[in-house]
Amino acid sequence: MRRVGLVLLLGLATAVSLAFLLLPIVALFVHTTPGRLISQLSSDVVKDAFVVSLKTSLIAQLLIVGFGTPTAFVIATRRFPGRSLAVTLVELPLVLPPAVAGIGLLAAFGRMGLLGSELSALGISLPFTQSAVVVAVTFVASPLYVRAAIAAFEGVDPDLVAASRTLGVSPTRTFFRVVLPLARAGLAAGLALSFARGLGEFGATIMFAGSLQAVTQTLPLAIYSQFDLDFDTAVAMGAVLVLVSIVLLVSLRLLLSWQSSSSTRSSSRFGLSTSG
Amino acid sequence: MRVCAAVVLVVIALTASAANASSSAQITVYAAASLTNVFPQIDGTQRYSFGGSNTLAAQIQQGAPADVFASANMTLPQQLFEKNLCSKPVVFTRNRLVIVVPKSNPAKLSSIYDLRRKGVKLVIAGPGVPVGSYTLRVLKNMNLAASVLPNVVSRETDVREVLAKVALGEADAGFVYSTDARVDAARLRVLKVPAWAQPKVQYGICVVAGSTHKSDAQAFVKKVLGKAGQARLRAAGFLSRVKKKG
Repeated sequence: MRRVGLVLLLGLATAVSLAFLLLPIVALFVHTTPGRLISQLSSDVVKDAFVVSLKTSLIAQLLIVGFGTPTAFVIATRRFPGRSLAVTLVELPLVLPPAVAGIGLLAAFGRMGLLGSELSALGISLPFTQSAVVVAVTFVASPLYVRAAIAAFEGVDPDLVAASRTLGVSPTRTFFRVVLPLARAGLAAGLALSFARGLGEFGATIMFAGSLQAVTQTLPLAIYSQFDLDFDTAVAMGAVLVLVSIVLLVSLRLLLSWQSSSSTRSSSRFGLSTSG
Repeated sequence: MRVCAAVVLVVIALTASAANASSSAQITVYAAASLTNVFPQIDGTQRYSFGGSNTLAAQIQQGAPADVFASANMTLPQQLFEKNLCSKPVVFTRNRLVIVVPKSNPAKLSSIYDLRRKGVKLVIAGPGVPVGSYTLRVLKNMNLAASVLPNVVSRETDVREVLAKVALGEADAGFVYSTDARVDAARLRVLKVPAWAQPKVQYGICVVAGSTHKSDAQAFVKKVLGKAGQARLRAAGFLSRVKKKG
């Protein structure tokens, strides 16, 4: 009898949590008819925001992969003083409130910021430009990639690397022929998460880059600015972001199963949280 | 099992107490961002939510628990009134627009006409924000829209965001109310908008229809319209609610 009660309670709690998570998502899609939803998406505000979001996200992810991969490799494979500090540092933006990130970026790269005079001497003024959006997205999204990349590199069997080296293969070639192929699933999974987080960036962007249609107004900023002007358009953009997120999450699951079938190591070490 | 039941009870108790917290006489006032400093001076005991009037109106429309709505224009409360979402709005104060530039004046601006100069970083409020539409009105009145609007680098969500971006020195100039410019006077320099180009900036106040504290809300409105409230507003640089004749 007690067992039945426990099972019922567990089932109820699970049902409540799932319904709670599902309801806002469903509400976005049933708010209007699919036909109207699509017609809302053809407005200039939405198109511009989509282009800005896509462009800034792609550039940001290129930067994240370009700088994040070597950083993660060094942290994963080298033991150096201050290593745990470095690990904490690359993870910090993950738990930092985006508004704090925005203030920090302004204080560092703003015209009156720490590097403001140096940047302006070079003729660079970041705030209110598309580059500022890229900087904000890179700052908040990079930890998700770097974290996953560190775990992926740590997961590469050192014996295989050693074998490659004893066969006379150069470290660079070993990295590209042995380490990278073994870590690729983990890196791709990290990239998917980082992309999703970057696409949703709001707080740091609005503070550091401002909001101007076709220049700095990303999809989340456009949703906020349309919220009081045209709720239906805001909902339509929300639905688009939900679809993109679902696609990213599904590809993430596929990547992780690809990784667990292609390597003998467990995939549970990937942090899946996208807080912020 | 018993532990589970206890947990459920605690959760219910916490939810209930959270819901009960609003039953005190304190009311919730949704007010335009430009009123951030002056409203708590008029009545420091209420709960305030300051923001772009348009955002606040949208929230009220979505059922936000506001008792009073004080907007930086008459259009938004009038629209709520027409949808039976608040009482008939009355004008409680007026304001005028100015241009603020950082004290260091990086773009070396000396009049509104300098905003036409190429490369000036101008920040204004978004299209739905009252101060944003007043700004467009001014530029239209002065026939400057086509030459100045290309210099806009950001459209902010409320007037205080515009003010902050200029006070931080990130933007070269921004359009705000004269009362906002006074709040951060140490970091700002003010350029005038000619009187003939000024839009009609009237602030409207109403009691939200969904309010559960109607009489307290009405008392608050009375306080704002009353002698002391009006004196506070004028002391903060707002204009008297009716335009003096002549």
